[in-house]
Amino acid sequence: MELVELFAFLKVGDVATLSVILLVAMFFLLAIGMPLGFASAFLAVMVLIMKFGPELLFSKFGHGPLSVVGQAVYRQMTNYVLISVPLFIFMAALLERCGIAKDMYNSLNVWLSRTRGGIAIVTSIMAVIMAAMSGIIGGEVVLLGLIALPQMLRLGYNQNLAIGTICASGSLGTMIPPSIVLIFYGLVTETSIKALFTASFLPGFMLASFFIIYILVRTNLNPSLAPLPEEDPDAPKGSEKAVLFLGFLCRFTLWLTGFLLLRAAFFTATGANVVQEGVDPIALGMVSDIPYIAATGAIAAALIFFVIGRDRAQTGWEMGKGLVAPIVVIGVVLGSIYMGITGITEAAGMGVVAVFVIGLIRREMTFEIVWDSLMRTLKSTGTIIWVTIGAASLAAAYTLAGGPTYVANSIIASELPTMGIILVMMLIFLIMGMFMDWIGIVLLIMPVFLPIVLKLPVQEIGFLGTLEPKYVAIWFGVVFCMNMQVSFLSPPFGPAAFYLKSVAPSHITLTDIFRGFLPFIAIQLIALSVLLIWPPIVTLFLG
Amino acid sequence: MSDESLWLGRLRRPVRFAMTAFAGIAGLIYLWLIANAFLFEDAIDMFDMIRPEGRFIVYAMLVSLGGAILFASLYLSDSQGAIEQKPDGFFDFVSLISSRLAMIMVAFIVIVMFYEVVSRYVFLSPTLWANELSLWIASFVFLFAGQYAMQQRSHIRIYVIYDMMPRWMQKASDVLSLALLLFFTFALVWGGYSDAMRRMMRMETFGTAWDPPLPGTLKPAILIIIILVTIQAVSNLIADWNKAPEHHNPADEIDETEIEKIRKTLED
Repeated sequence: MELVELFAFLKVGDVATLSVILLVAMFFLLAIGMPLGFASAFLAVMVLIMKFGPELLFSKFGHGPLSVVGQAVYRQMTNYVLISVPLFIFMAALLERCGIAKDMYNSLNVWLSRTRGGIAIVTSIMAVIMAAMSGIIGGEVVLLGLIALPQMLRLGYNQNLAIGTICASGSLGTMIPPSIVLIFYGLVTETSIKALFTASFLPGFMLASFFIIYILVRTNLNPSLAPLPEEDPDAPKGSEKAVLFLGFLCRFTLWLTGFLLLRAAFFTATGANVVQEGVDPIALGMVSDIPYIAATGAIAAALIFFVIGRDRAQTGWEMGKGLVAPIVVIGVVLGSIYMGITGITEAAGMGVVAVFVIGLIRREMTFEIVWDSLMRTLKSTGTIIWVTIGAASLAAAYTLAGGPTYVANSIIASELPTMGIILVMMLIFLIMGMFMDWIGIVLLIMPVFLPIVLKLPVQEIGFLGTLEPKYVAIWFGVVFCMNMQVSFLSPPFGPAAFYLKSVAPSHITLTDIFRGFLPFIAIQLIALSVLLIWPPIVTLFLG
Repeated sequence: MSDESLWLGRLRRPVRFAMTAFAGIAGLIYLWLIANAFLFEDAIDMFDMIRPEGRFIVYAMLVSLGGAILFASLYLSDSQGAIEQKPDGFFDFVSLISSRLAMIMVAFIVIVMFYEVVSRYVFLSPTLWANELSLWIASFVFLFAGQYAMQQRSHIRIYVIYDMMPRWMQKASDVLSLALLLFFTFALVWGGYSDAMRRMMRMETFGTAWDPPLPGTLKPAILIIIILVTIQAVSNLIADWNKAPEHHNPADEIDETEIEKIRKTLED
C-alpha cells in the first residue's frame, strides 16, 4: 500500500478548497478538449479521492465509497423517463424525412399570402406547431431554412429579418412542450415534468407572439422589408378566404367529433367509462360527454350546409389539409400526456408510431429512412446520455462531499439581495450558454443553483405577485429554459446559426446570420424579464 | 446505405442467410405461441419467457430471436450509414456491431410501448411486463449508444482552446484525456466489481411483478461496456494519431448527406 500512501496528500478535508479545485480542474479538462461526460466522470472520482483520501478508496479491491459512481450510473440507466429522450429524437428524425413540413408550409401560406410579412409569420406559426410535435431543435431550423428562406429571399424580404425569424422561431422547440430541456431539468431536480410542460406553455406562446408582433410592427412600419408576392388573380380574396378557412375548421371539427363519438361509444360498449368512485373520468370519453360532442359536430355540419356551402368547405379543406397531419401528431403526443392516457415516455413512443403511420399513408416511409433515423437517434442519444452519466456521477460524488449545501449556505449567509442573486445566475447561464451545450449546464450547474434558489425567501422573488413555494422549482425551470433560448442564438457558437449556415445560400456569412439575430435576442431577453418580474405567469395553468 | 462490404466480405451472404433463417424460425415459434395463448389457459406467457425452466419451446424462441438479432446486427454493421465516418480503428467493428444491436433495440422499444398502450387503452388489459422490458432494453441501448458515440467521435467536447493549439499539444491533450479516462474506468471497476459480481451471481431481479433480472445483468454490463468504451477511445487515439489537425465548429453536427436527403424530400 506504499503506492497509495504517496498520494495521501490528495485528501482535502474542507469543502471550500475542494470546490475551488473542482472548478479549476473542470475548466482545465474542458479546455484541453476532454469530452464533457468523461471529464465529469473523472472528476467524480477525484472528488471522492479528495474527500475520503486514496487509501480508503483503493485499500480493498471491489469495495469502498467508489461504488457511489457505479450506483449513480445505474440509477440513470434505469430511469423510465430517460427513455423518452431517444424516442423524441427518433420521432424528430422521422419527421424531418417525410414531407409533412412542406405541406404544412403550403397550407399555412395560402391563408396568409396577402398579409404584410406573411411568410415570416407563417414561419413562426409553423415553428410553434413543429415545436409542439417534438422537443428537439436543430432539425427545425434546417427544415425552415430549406423551406422558408428561399421563398423570403426570392420575394425580396429583408435578409436580417428572414434569418432572425427562422432561427429564433426554430429554436422554440425546447420552449414549447414537449421539450427535451425541461425533461432533463425535471430529471435532475426531481420536479414533475408534466407540471413543467404545463408551466412553460404560456411563456412559450408569449415568446412566439412577441416574435410575430415584432414582425408585424416592423413590416408595417417599413413595407419594403417584406414585399408582397404578385397577386394571383384566381386566388380567393380577403373575406372569401376567411369563409374558406371557416369551412376548413368545420370539416376538421366534424372529423374530430366523429372520432370522439366513436371513442366514447367504444368505451360505453366495453364499459371502460363507467362512473366510479375514486377513478378519474376519461376526458371526453364519458357517456355524459356524448351530447356535447354530438352538438358540436351538428353545429359544424349545419355551418357547412347552410352558411358556407359544401363546395366552399371542400375548397377550404383542400387548401388547409396540410395542417391535419401535424395536428394529429400533436394530438397523439400532447393529447396522451394531458388526457392522462400515457406518461411522457409512452407519449414519445406513440409519437414515433404516429409519424411512422403518417409516413406510410403518404407513401414516403422506407426502410432506409427508418434506418437512417435510428442511426441519427443512437448517435445523438449517445452524445446526450453519456454527459448525463458523467454529470450524474459528479453530482452524486459532490453531494456526498457536501458541496451543494455548502455553496447554498455560503450564498444565503452573504445576505445579498434575492433578485441580485437571481440576476447573477441569469448572467452565468447566459455566459455559459455561449460556450456550452444546454445539457452540460442543466446537469452540472442545476444541482448547485436550484438548492440556492429554493432557500431564497420566496416572497422576494419577482416584483409583481408572489409564487407559492411549491412552484419555485418549476418557475426556475421555465426561466432556465428561456435562458437556453438565448443560448441557441448567442454568438460565437449559437447552434441555430450553424444549422442555418449549412442550408443558406453561400453569400450569407455567419456574421450576417448573427447580425440578424440581434433584435430577436433582445425579444428573448424581454420575455425573460417578464418571467423574472412576474413569476406567477408560470402558474396560470397549474391548478 | 452503401452496398460496399466493410468487413464481412465473402461471409456477407451466409450471415444474411442466417439472419433470415433465424428470423423466420422466431416468427414461426411466435405464431405458434400466439395460437397457444388463444387455445389454452396455461399457455406460455411473458412470465415464462424469462424463466425457461426446461421448456424446450421457450429455449427455442429465445435462441432463434437472439440469433436473428445477432445476425441482423452483424449483417447491418457491414454497410456504412450515410451519416457515419469510415471505420478505421482496430476496435471499430465491435462498436459498429453493438451499435446495430442498439438501433434494432430502439425500434423494438417503440413496438413494445405500442403493444402496451394498445392493450391497456383499447383492450383494457395492461401488460405486466412492457414497462420493465422497455426499461431493460433501454438501459442497454443507452450504454451501447455511448460506445457508438465514441466510435463516431460525437461526444460533446469544447473546442475553443483545443483548436488553437499546435498539433503536438493537441496530441498531448488527447493522451492526457485518455489517461484520465483509463483512470476513471479503473476506479469504477475497482469500486463496483464486488457489487456487480454479487448481483450477477445470484441474477438479482428487479422486485416487480414480471421481475426481470435487471440489476443482475445491468450492473455487470455497466462495467463491461464502459471498458469497451475505453478500448474504443484507445483505438480512436491510435487511428487519429497521424491525421492532420482538425478544426471544429458546431456545424460538424450537421451532416451534408442528410441535408441533401431532406432537400430531396422537400422537392418531391
